[in-house]
Amino acid sequence: MSRYLLKRFLTAVLTVLFVFVLNFVLIRLAPGDPITILAGQDNPSQEQIDILKAKYGLDKPIFVQLLAYLKNLLKGDMGTSIIYGRPVFDVISERLGPTLLLSLTGAVIALVIGTSLAIVASRKPGGLLDNIISYIAYVLYSMPAFWLGLIVILFFASYLGWLPTAGMIDARAGYTGWAHVLDVAKHLILPAGALALVGVPAYFRIGRSSMMQVVKNDYVNLFKAAGMDRKKVYRKYLFREAMLPTITTFGIRLAYIIGGSAATEIVFAWPGMGTLVLSAIQTRDYPMLMGNYLILSISVAVWMILVDLIYAVADPRIRLS
Amino acid sequence: MEKTKVKDWRKLREFVHNYTHNSRAMVGLCMLVFILMVALLADVIAPFSPTEFIDVAQLPPSGDYWLGTDHLGRDMFSRIVYGTRISLMIGVVAAAISGMTGTLVGAFAGYYGGKIDRILSQIIDIFLMVPTFFLIILVVAIFGSSIFHVMLVIGFTSWPGNARVMRSQAMSLRERTFVKGARAVGMSERKILFSCVIPNGIFPIISNTTMQIATAILTEASLSFLGLGDPNAISWGQMIFNGRNVMTSAWWVATFPGIAIIITVATFYMIGDGLNNVLNPRLRQ
Repeated sequence: MSRYLLKRFLTAVLTVLFVFVLNFVLIRLAPGDPITILAGQDNPSQEQIDILKAKYGLDKPIFVQLLAYLKNLLKGDMGTSIIYGRPVFDVISERLGPTLLLSLTGAVIALVIGTSLAIVASRKPGGLLDNIISYIAYVLYSMPAFWLGLIVILFFASYLGWLPTAGMIDARAGYTGWAHVLDVAKHLILPAGALALVGVPAYFRIGRSSMMQVVKNDYVNLFKAAGMDRKKVYRKYLFREAMLPTITTFGIRLAYIIGGSAATEIVFAWPGMGTLVLSAIQTRDYPMLMGNYLILSISVAVWMILVDLIYAVADPRIRLS
Repeated sequence: MEKTKVKDWRKLREFVHNYTHNSRAMVGLCMLVFILMVALLADVIAPFSPTEFIDVAQLPPSGDYWLGTDHLGRDMFSRIVYGTRISLMIGVVAAAISGMTGTLVGAFAGYYGGKIDRILSQIIDIFLMVPTFFLIILVVAIFGSSIFHVMLVIGFTSWPGNARVMRSQAMSLRERTFVKGARAVGMSERKILFSCVIPNGIFPIISNTTMQIATAILTEASLSFLGLGDPNAISWGQMIFNGRNVMTSAWWVATFPGIAIIITVATFYMIGDGLNNVLNPRLRQ
């Protein structure tokens, strides 16, 4: 067990290092640099550019820059954003909350709807209801999340006017307390709903096939023959067993939750990490980009190890080796 | 030689029989034929040029312009018809790269085992954990967003799944009698790998790769929507990107390309699912 964990940990560290070096090199190979963008409008002299470059350490060779970055990182310093002029870590931590709020809400709704549909469809496999739901699942599975976002904005926000079109809060109103919570909730409905709908098919498919597999178990017939209530068999035994693969899928998908809502965030102008990364790419904000990619890859790596551990504790049949 | 041919025929007939009796797979196949026809006959089907400004911008759908005109006055229907080509090309090329890379890496790792396997598996594990979409964004943003780059980068970031499947296939095939027999007869390791192991283990990769065509089309659409697509390509994602700003005044510009994406992507998912069912007897109902 401990050897396995050590191996997993090593893979995680290697992955993070790989992503880190790859991104570091890629970003600095890019044509166009943040200094030109930052100083672009003021028509700077070469001397001023050189001073700025020296300030951010961009005048040194890539390898030296990489080592300097790593050294600062070990001290817990991710550098200063060139565009925001503030510590990268501060800006990212502001964005992390909204991203988690949006993607977690979307994931939970998708899990609930997808699993419910799976239960309904698996009652009569191949029946009319099963077919209809399955085809709808194909359509949702094939739908670009950003496109669905545009459509729901058009319909519910622009046409019906029920919900706000973008953002997370109504900045003009300046709500506090419960009014603030309500305001955020109102802004959350459309993006979380769009994100959830696109996520439904994954849980539907896994839930349906797992339900159909579980029903074939011998004990189902035994219980039925013994005169046990059908509903009780479902609720007490079948459902529990059938949920295992669903929970696994949910766990694995949680790892990608920080990056998974990027397109939706951008459509709804949600102040999360997705919008942050896109603007950082456009402005070539190197430290900001590095910080985002680093947090993204670390979170995936850490979560994967956690999922493994949770399995080992929760299900003694799974022996880690 | 004659014997194996007869056996292959029987296998093929069984495959065709099973495939044609899978309703969803058949729906997918019919849709694929339709999409291929649209792509091949785009010049005949499209009433206008996809790039010429033919009329006033943002005309609603009408008898002249079935799906309206876009923000620059180009015919939306013609653009969507031509867009089929780009989407298919990106999907197929990216998935082919992913399928081939995955098959080779996985087969080498699984067949040779030992040190080679340990190193390759580590590489597969690392690539599986890399946040792919953001990496793709970065590469495209930096090296320019030509169709060529987009296809390459999608292909080379999506292979680890295939490699994993192929590795376990190769590991079990390695122990089979016919492989051992081939080795005993003196066939070279490389020849065994390419003529025994890969052809016999490739079926799950085929269905997987079909699904990846769908994923690649979706990824390209997302890239174009973020403004990182090839500006010279007639791409559905690009059309949605352009339509976004005129959504409230001209809903059709962004809506119809989205429907085209859904139809095409769903087609490949259905075929992939069907192949999976047909080639994997345990899933057959």
